[in-house]
Amino acid sequence: MQKTIEGNFQSEIIAAYHEKNFETPVIGVTGGKGGVGKTTVAVNIACALVNMGYKVALVDADVDAPNAAILLGMTLENSLDVFITRPLINESKCNSCGACVEVCRLNALFLPKDKAPVLLGACNGCEACLLVCETNAIHRGKKTVGKTYKTNRGNLTLYTGELIPSLEESAIVVEKLKERIFQEAADFDIIVVDTSPGAHCNVIKALQGSDSVITVTEPTPLGAHDFELILKLLDIFELKGTAFLNRADLPSPKDAVQKIAQDHNTTVAAELNTDDLLIKSYVSGDPIVTMFPEAASAITFVRLAHEIAQEYLI
Amino acid sequence: MREVVILSGKGGVGKSSIVGSLGVIYARKYKVVLADTDVDAPNLNLVLGAKLRNSEEIAASFKSFINYDKCIGCMMCSDVCKFSSIIGVDLPIIIPYSCEGCGACSVICPEDAIEIKEVVNGQLNIFDAENMLLVAGELHIGETSSGRLVDIVKKRARQEAEHCHAEIICTDGPPGIGCPVIASVKGADYVVLVTEPTPAALNDLKRVVEVVKHFRTPLGIALNRSNIHPESNRAIKQFSQDNGFFILSEIPYDKSMPMAVANAQPVVSAYPAAPASLALRKLAEALSERINALS
Repeated sequence: MQKTIEGNFQSEIIAAYHEKNFETPVIGVTGGKGGVGKTTVAVNIACALVNMGYKVALVDADVDAPNAAILLGMTLENSLDVFITRPLINESKCNSCGACVEVCRLNALFLPKDKAPVLLGACNGCEACLLVCETNAIHRGKKTVGKTYKTNRGNLTLYTGELIPSLEESAIVVEKLKERIFQEAADFDIIVVDTSPGAHCNVIKALQGSDSVITVTEPTPLGAHDFELILKLLDIFELKGTAFLNRADLPSPKDAVQKIAQDHNTTVAAELNTDDLLIKSYVSGDPIVTMFPEAASAITFVRLAHEIAQEYLI
Repeated sequence: MREVVILSGKGGVGKSSIVGSLGVIYARKYKVVLADTDVDAPNLNLVLGAKLRNSEEIAASFKSFINYDKCIGCMMCSDVCKFSSIIGVDLPIIIPYSCEGCGACSVICPEDAIEIKEVVNGQLNIFDAENMLLVAGELHIGETSSGRLVDIVKKRARQEAEHCHAEIICTDGPPGIGCPVIASVKGADYVVLVTEPTPAALNDLKRVVEVVKHFRTPLGIALNRSNIHPESNRAIKQFSQDNGFFILSEIPYDKSMPMAVANAQPVVSAYPAAPASLALRKLAEALSERINALS
């Protein structure tokens, strides 16, 4: 096991990661590499489940670059702001002791000579400065770092997170988005979560509480490399699931991906070839399972949705 | 020495492939250093078939550690943690993957039982790629603080560039708009935004444009797979025109691109006569014109 999760508490940390206070199954969709088709897979499986009569929550947790609404032709609604603490300094109470400046590990506070400190740098809202202030001169202000949305269309409800460009708080937006959907989880038969690319904090938070994870990849050396990274991450967090090999007909041998899947006890549950109809649906804001239900890729998505329903919903 | 960073917002639009080819084109004329700041999933070495020269562990992250001999289980640390990173009922447990190392817990602890320590969160890899040097960061699985690791990669790339008198650093950036992207943009002379003609890529392009504008870095656009959807191609041109952004090159999609990737070679080396290679040489030319015009 990696050095990330140390000591004797590994099992407690993993248990907390998997803990949820509702029955609704959660399916994560991730992939490591960007542009391998994560959102396409998530959107189409969600819509196929809706077409089967289920109430589905689709969660777009790629808060840096959320695209599920575009693929669905939906306009985002019901926004809530995501806040962090912004320290507000009451100059009349401040005795210029400098303790807040010293405790701030991000060096966000600057103390001009004999004056109250000013917030200059990137503050992550940790509140350490509030805790050390002897004169209670620092108050909790609010800084908006992003939004979450809840957009409804029939039996499909899309939850979207959005980080404000030029800010760095992606992980907090993901966390608040997950809180919003998990509080309302009982309203749905199933929850599908689409993650950002990469293999770190945003992805870890997005996949928290997943019962199963679909890992989308492509046969290129880049796809294979990032596929291995993400499967290692899933192993650490004891997340199980299947792989989805997209663009299987690209001129790269498929055996690298198959070997990696095998090494991590993961089955390649579906393979999809490049498909003009898929691109057509992608640019039209209409998922292929509704736009071209006869297409080979639509049939694959419907089959996967049936397999998920079989395992978790019947 | 000039530093160019390649970003995209949306992942998988061809950043690494384009940087690989740009590097090869420039290396014929100039001394080039490459950097890979997509520390979550670094791929530039694979595009170039680069050889690893050496690798060093990097400690660019801070985390809380509890001394259980001193801890009395008051759980005040858990109450003050703004990152929900301390769990437990009567004994606090730090969740390393979300701990920011901010130190709020150690400030509140009445027993002085919590210490903030530096931890190894990744590595810095130096590769040789043809006649170029590649400095690439790689975050360890499950680790945090990618922004700080990016800072270290960029610093090292600048040192290497000064050392070998390089004229240009080309940096392959991460997708998205979050902390590693912001760390990648800081201090850059020029940003190339790679996009493709789809509504999703345009949406993400608009978001990354906001980030680059925030830092007032000059930018140009490379329109990859330019022929896959004419309507979106027009939409991206309209967006660029409305905002006064220059389209450096349109790179058409043909089979040469994925075939070059499969063979671990930049397309301009593997298929120099392919339409994509032609367009990449045009990109290199337009980009150097823009960089030379910078004050």
